[in-house]
Amino acid sequence: MNMMDSQEILTSSEPVRVGFIPLIDCAPFVIAKEKGFFFNEGVDVQLSKEASWSSVRDKVAFNLLDGAHMLASMPIAASLGIGTIKAAMQTSFTVSHNGNGITVGNALYEQLLPLSESSADIRSGVALKRLIERRGAQAVPFRFAIVYPYSSHNYQLRDWFDRAGIDPDKDVQIIVIPPTQMMDYLKQGEIDGYCVGEPWNSLAVEQGIGHMLVTGYEIWGSTPEKVFGVNSVWAKKNQAVHMAMIRALDKACVWVDAPENQTELLQILSHPDYLNCTPEQLIYGFSSIKPKGQFDWPMEAYQRFSGQEVNKPLPNYALWVMAQMYRWQQLAKVSSLNAVAEQVYCQDLYDQALGHEMVKEEPWKLSSLQESQWLDAVSTGKIQLHPEGILKGFEFRDV
Amino acid sequence: MSAPPNKELTVMLVDNEPARAAIVEQAMRDSGYRVIRRLENAKNLTEAVTECQPDMVIIDIESPDRDMLENMSRLTKDNPRPIVMFAEEDDSRHVEAAIRAGVSAYVVDGVQSGSVKALLQVAIARFREFQALRSELETVKSQLEDRKLIDKAKGLIMKHQQCDEPAAYKALRKLAMDRSQRMTDVARNIISVMELMGDRK
Repeated sequence: MNMMDSQEILTSSEPVRVGFIPLIDCAPFVIAKEKGFFFNEGVDVQLSKEASWSSVRDKVAFNLLDGAHMLASMPIAASLGIGTIKAAMQTSFTVSHNGNGITVGNALYEQLLPLSESSADIRSGVALKRLIERRGAQAVPFRFAIVYPYSSHNYQLRDWFDRAGIDPDKDVQIIVIPPTQMMDYLKQGEIDGYCVGEPWNSLAVEQGIGHMLVTGYEIWGSTPEKVFGVNSVWAKKNQAVHMAMIRALDKACVWVDAPENQTELLQILSHPDYLNCTPEQLIYGFSSIKPKGQFDWPMEAYQRFSGQEVNKPLPNYALWVMAQMYRWQQLAKVSSLNAVAEQVYCQDLYDQALGHEMVKEEPWKLSSLQESQWLDAVSTGKIQLHPEGILKGFEFRDV
Repeated sequence: MSAPPNKELTVMLVDNEPARAAIVEQAMRDSGYRVIRRLENAKNLTEAVTECQPDMVIIDIESPDRDMLENMSRLTKDNPRPIVMFAEEDDSRHVEAAIRAGVSAYVVDGVQSGSVKALLQVAIARFREFQALRSELETVKSQLEDRKLIDKAKGLIMKHQQCDEPAAYKALRKLAMDRSQRMTDVARNIISVMELMGDRK
């Protein structure tokens, strides 16, 4: 990339309006702006702090924003018109993997202890299953919170329940609560547990409000969490700017992951324009330090921002997410799964932006027979994620 | 047979801005709608919706509690769903206008789209009006603050340079022009430098 090209983009394009939710994984957007990575690529980006995922979705759909920090499932839901007007959105850059966890309040945890022979029983949900059976069908179901219906949090929590033999729609109640309010709800006993990203699991442990049971990594392996999602109409018209932004975010992700930048990172993120908190509150989101009393996180479970494994969009993850949407009755049948996955999780632009060699083969694509059986096969467990996650693909089992 | 405007449409209003909520509620009542519940915070938003069964929920687009409503459409069929779901190709203008005005809405299935649009118009108008009032207030406030800053800087220059007010103003203005900065920014810089020097003494 030479200066001429950058200058050309800068002078010929409108500022790009990018929404973000003040969570730790908006870091690459904030850093790309504050440390000049967007500027160096010749792009003028206006960051806009948003209050809810629904508003992000509506504003991108109706062109009040060009793109945003999005949950990895959001562009899929919007493109399929699930829970919203059908509005084509796409991503060519995954911002982060992992960081989720399931935490339960102290009261529920105390009830789980006598029903478990080992800590494995608690972490697998087996103790919770025993408790639910013991209480009987008349009892008020335990309430668990997620941050958004179309999210890894919802699907991972449901999968965790399901594996323990708990019906997520009948045996428990799942509600939506904004992440910043999760701990208050748990503290006041309005909910019994939640599935949310860091630092809300570690902070609950640190403050003695709850016990963390399991990380998202242990449920699904390494999992795409947030993406840079854009309106597809915008993407079509602004390819050069889009690619410049991918390069800037790529650099910002490397910066965010570098341990020597951590102090500065927390300083910038905690600013009132961004997360509006103290740097100390953010430490659990980034470092390997975890509060006392919390079980050891597997190293792979930490949030990761940089590297091709993380950043390159994975169309097979879109296939997986569509099957989760179908499994939990958010989505009716979709026939053109390959086409949707390819359109929404667009790999070409990522490779092109970063000057990688374009790969012609598309090993992730389903054969037409697989495509016709996919949704049901995943829903019934005949197809599962590889234990190490989507990066390794799927496992076909005879059930 | 053309139906009369649906006066029985029930509305729930969620807004943490009490002044605006009051204006919007009054306007809705004046137009013949029934506001059955007004919530300032959404602590028990989902319960309130289940309990009151409103035909429509109007909520500030900047409310972080909005996502709580997104899950409800799945729980039972009778619950309100995001209005963007009802925006058809040729008819998305009023939804876009709502989003721009900061209004988001959730509607139950089966409510006449004409009534929804009419009610949305009322909310949009009042939200806009409130926004205009607020920005006007903010402009006046910041103008006042600017004046104060400039006066203070002028005073300091007069004292330091032993000059009169027009001369101090001229110096301030020249500095702003030379540096292509706003007068208030220059004034702020002068004040902090002078205060720093004052402290040293």
